[in-house]
Amino acid sequence: MEHFPEAWGRPRNDIYGPYDHSYLQTTGPKAHTQSPAVTGTSVIGVKFNGGVAIASDNLASYGSLARFTDVKRLRVFGDSAIVGFGGDVSDMQHIDRLLNSIDIRENYSSDGNLLNAKNLHTYLSKVFYKRRSEFNPLWNHILVAGFDGDGKPFLSSADLLGTTFSAPHLATGFGAHLAIPILRRLFPEDTPLENISKEQAVEALRECIKVLWYRDARSLDKFSIATVTKDGIEVKEDEKVEAQSWAFAETIRGYGAQVN
Amino acid sequence: MTSIGTGYDLSNSVFSPDGRNFQVEYAVKAVENGGTAIGIRCKDGVVLAAEKIVTSKLLKPGANKKIATVDRHVGIVSAGLVPDGRHFVSRARDEASSWRGVYKGPIPTSALANRLGSYVQAYTLYSSVRPFGITAILGGWDSEAEAPVDGQVGNGPDSGAGGKIQGAKAGGPGLWMIEPSGLYWGYYGAATGKGRQAAKAELEKLNLSSGELSLVDAVKEAARIIYVAHEDSKDKEFELEMTWISSLDGPTKGKHEEVPKDLLEEAEKAAKKALEGEVEEEEGTKASATEDQQMEE
Amino acid sequence: MTSFGRYTSAETVGYSFSQPTSAPNKEHSFYPYTDNGGSTLGISGSDFAILAGDTRSVAGYNINSRYVPKVFKIGGDDESGDGAHILLSVVGFAADGQALKERLDAVVKMYKYQHGKPMSVRACAQRLSTILYQKRFFPYYVHAILAGLDEEGKGALYSYDPVGSYEREQCRAAGSAASLIMPFLDNQVNFKNQYIPGSGEGHALEPKKAEPLPRETVEQLVRDAFTSAVERHIEVGDGLQMMVITKSGIEEIYSPLKKD
Repeated sequence: MEHFPEAWGRPRNDIYGPYDHSYLQTTGPKAHTQSPAVTGTSVIGVKFNGGVAIASDNLASYGSLARFTDVKRLRVFGDSAIVGFGGDVSDMQHIDRLLNSIDIRENYSSDGNLLNAKNLHTYLSKVFYKRRSEFNPLWNHILVAGFDGDGKPFLSSADLLGTTFSAPHLATGFGAHLAIPILRRLFPEDTPLENISKEQAVEALRECIKVLWYRDARSLDKFSIATVTKDGIEVKEDEKVEAQSWAFAETIRGYGAQVN
Repeated sequence: MTSIGTGYDLSNSVFSPDGRNFQVEYAVKAVENGGTAIGIRCKDGVVLAAEKIVTSKLLKPGANKKIATVDRHVGIVSAGLVPDGRHFVSRARDEASSWRGVYKGPIPTSALANRLGSYVQAYTLYSSVRPFGITAILGGWDSEAEAPVDGQVGNGPDSGAGGKIQGAKAGGPGLWMIEPSGLYWGYYGAATGKGRQAAKAELEKLNLSSGELSLVDAVKEAARIIYVAHEDSKDKEFELEMTWISSLDGPTKGKHEEVPKDLLEEAEKAAKKALEGEVEEEEGTKASATEDQQMEE
Repeated sequence: MTSFGRYTSAETVGYSFSQPTSAPNKEHSFYPYTDNGGSTLGISGSDFAILAGDTRSVAGYNINSRYVPKVFKIGGDDESGDGAHILLSVVGFAADGQALKERLDAVVKMYKYQHGKPMSVRACAQRLSTILYQKRFFPYYVHAILAGLDEEGKGALYSYDPVGSYEREQCRAAGSAASLIMPFLDNQVNFKNQYIPGSGEGHALEPKKAEPLPRETVEQLVRDAFTSAVERHIEVGDGLQMMVITKSGIEEIYSPLKKD
C-alpha cells in the first residue's frame, strides 16, 4: 500500500523509477536560451538613390516545420527607420516591445523623432552585445534601414554577438549566400548610389526573394518588402513571389532517387 | 471661512466634524488660481487646450509645454501647481507603460483615469503627504481598429475560434477630469483653472452631447473659449497651447499630437476676431443706450 | 538478439520505455565569440608611427563587408576623431574590438577632462593592459596594437595579447595573416638574417644592425606586406587603411586591395 496520497495515481516507482523532479527546480543555475526555437530566415536590404529597400519572407519555422506563415518580420520604428529581423521570433517580439517603449518615450517631447536609423542600430547592437556578454543572447541577426545623422541612406547589420557591419547591400542567414552574389552583380560595390533607382532596388530584392524561395528550404513565397525615403516609409506585407518557374528543378541531379 | 482656526484644516486625512477635508479644499484653491485648461470630446477626436500665462519676458516662447503626452494615444493638461502636474504626468506615463508591459497593448483612457484617480485619492489619506494641487484633464482615443498585441506577428484566423467579428465596433474618444480629492468623471467638455466658469458656460453652449461638432471645429472653439476665459485677466499676456487626438482615419491617426501650426494660427485668429466682434457689439449697445438717455433728456 | 543500430540498450527490462542512455547527447551551447578575420600591422619610426589594417570583415567563408575599419583614433574631440594623439588597432572578434575601442576612447577623454592634459601614450598603454586584464576570465578576444609618439617625440608602438600582456616593439603584425607578415617584418625592419657583406666568415659574419627606417620606406613595406598577405590569405583583402601619426597630427590613407 502506498501511504502517501500525493503519490497515488503516479507511475510505480519500482517499475518506472523515482519521479524526476528536476524540471521543477527553482534553485541552481539559471538556464538561458542556448538555441533559438521559432525562427525567421533571411532579411535582405539594398541602398538606392535617396533611400533604402529591405525585404524578408513571412515565415516563422519551428525547426524544419513551417510553423507560422503570416509573420511580419519587418518592423517600422518612428517615421524613418525599419528593422528587419532574422532568427528567433520571440526575441524579435521582445525587441519590438523595447522599440515600442522607446518610440513612446520619444513622443513625450514634442520635437518628434530624435533617433535616426543609425542611432537605433548603435543602440540595438549594444543591447545584443550586452546580452551575449551575460551569456543570455537575443538570438537574432537584424538589418536596420533608414538614414544617418547627415540624412544619407543608412543600412547596417547587427547580430546576437554584437557584431556590426555596413555595406551597400546586406543579407542575413541564407541570404548572405544566395542574395548577396546577385546584389553584388546587379549593383557592384563601387556603383554610385545615384545610379540605383528605387524601382531597380525593389525589383532586385523581389528577384532575391524568389531565388531564396527556390533554394532555401526554410523560406516562403509570401513576403514583406519596404522602402525608406525622405517621403516616408512604404511597407507591403502581403506580397507573393510572382512568375515562378521550377524548370531548373528538373536539371538537379545527385540529391535523390533518380533513374538516370 | 469660519472653519479656519478650528484645527481641522492643519492636517491631511483629518475630517472636520461636519465631514469635510480642508486640505483637499485648499488644494482646490490652488487649482482655481491656475491658468485655464479645457478639453473637448467630439465624435472624431479630443482637443486639449491651455492658457499659459507668460510670467516673464525672459521665457522662450513655445517652450515649457503645459500639455504632456502620456502614451501615443493619451494627453494630459492640468491647472494648478506645475510641479504637481509634472509628477502626475510622470505617474501617468508609468501606468501607461506598465499596462503595456502586462497587456501588450495601449491602456484604455478609462482605465488610466481610474488608476490616476486612485493615485490622487491616496494623497488625501495620509498625514505625511498633501493632496495634489492640480485638476487634470485627460484626453485620449481608444483605437477603434482591432489592435494587435505589441510585438504580435501575423493576423490570426479570419473566422472560427479566435476569428474576427465583422463590423464589431470598439474604442473611441475619452475625456476625463481628475480633481484633488481623487474624484474623476468622464465629460463631453471639461474646464478647470482660473477661467473655468466662463469656459464652462461656453462649453455648455456647444451642445457637445449631440455629437455634431467636428474635431476641426472643436479646435477653433477651444481656442475661442481660452480667449474668452482670459478676458478676466486681460492685463496678463498669455500663450495658447493646443493638442489633439483624432480617430485612426483622422488627421492624427489616433495619436496625441500638437495641433499643427497653421491650424493653431487660424484658430487663434478666429478667436481674436470673435472676441473683437463681441466687444464691438457690447460697445454698440452701450452707444445706443446713451443715445436713448440723451433722447430722454 | 538482433541489434537495432548502436542504441540498443542492454537494460530493456520491465515496462519501462526509458531512453537509451548511451545515445550521444549533442552538446549545444552558446559560444560568445566569432572570428571576423583580417590583419593589422604597426611599425614605428624615429618621429612617426604607422598603424595599418585591411578593411575586410568575414564570417566563415562569407564576406560581411568590404569596409569595416580596424584602426581607430583614440581620445579625439568628436566623432571624426580629430584632435586624437593615439591610435589603436584591433583584430579578432570585431564586437569585442568595438567595445574595447570605445572603452579606451572614453578613458583617454576622461583623463583629459580630469587632468587638463592629454594622456601620454605610455600611460594609455598601461591602462589598456589593465582593461584587458580585468576581463581575464572572459577576455576581449582581440589582438590590439597601440601607437603614438612618446615623451621624446619618437614613434611608440605597443602590442598586446587578449588578456593584457604587452610590450613596446619596433614592429608587429597581428590577426589572421600575422604569421605571414611577421617574418617579413623581422627581415625588413629588424634586419633579421641580414649580415654585412664581407664582414667575416661563418660565425664571424656581422649581423646588420637595425635602425629606424624613413617614413617612405615604412609605408612601402606596409603596402608590400598587405598585397602579399592578400595573395596567400583568404580573410585578408578589399582595402588597406593606413594611419600615420607624426608631430603634426594623424594622416589617414586608404588604398584598395584585391577583392577576390
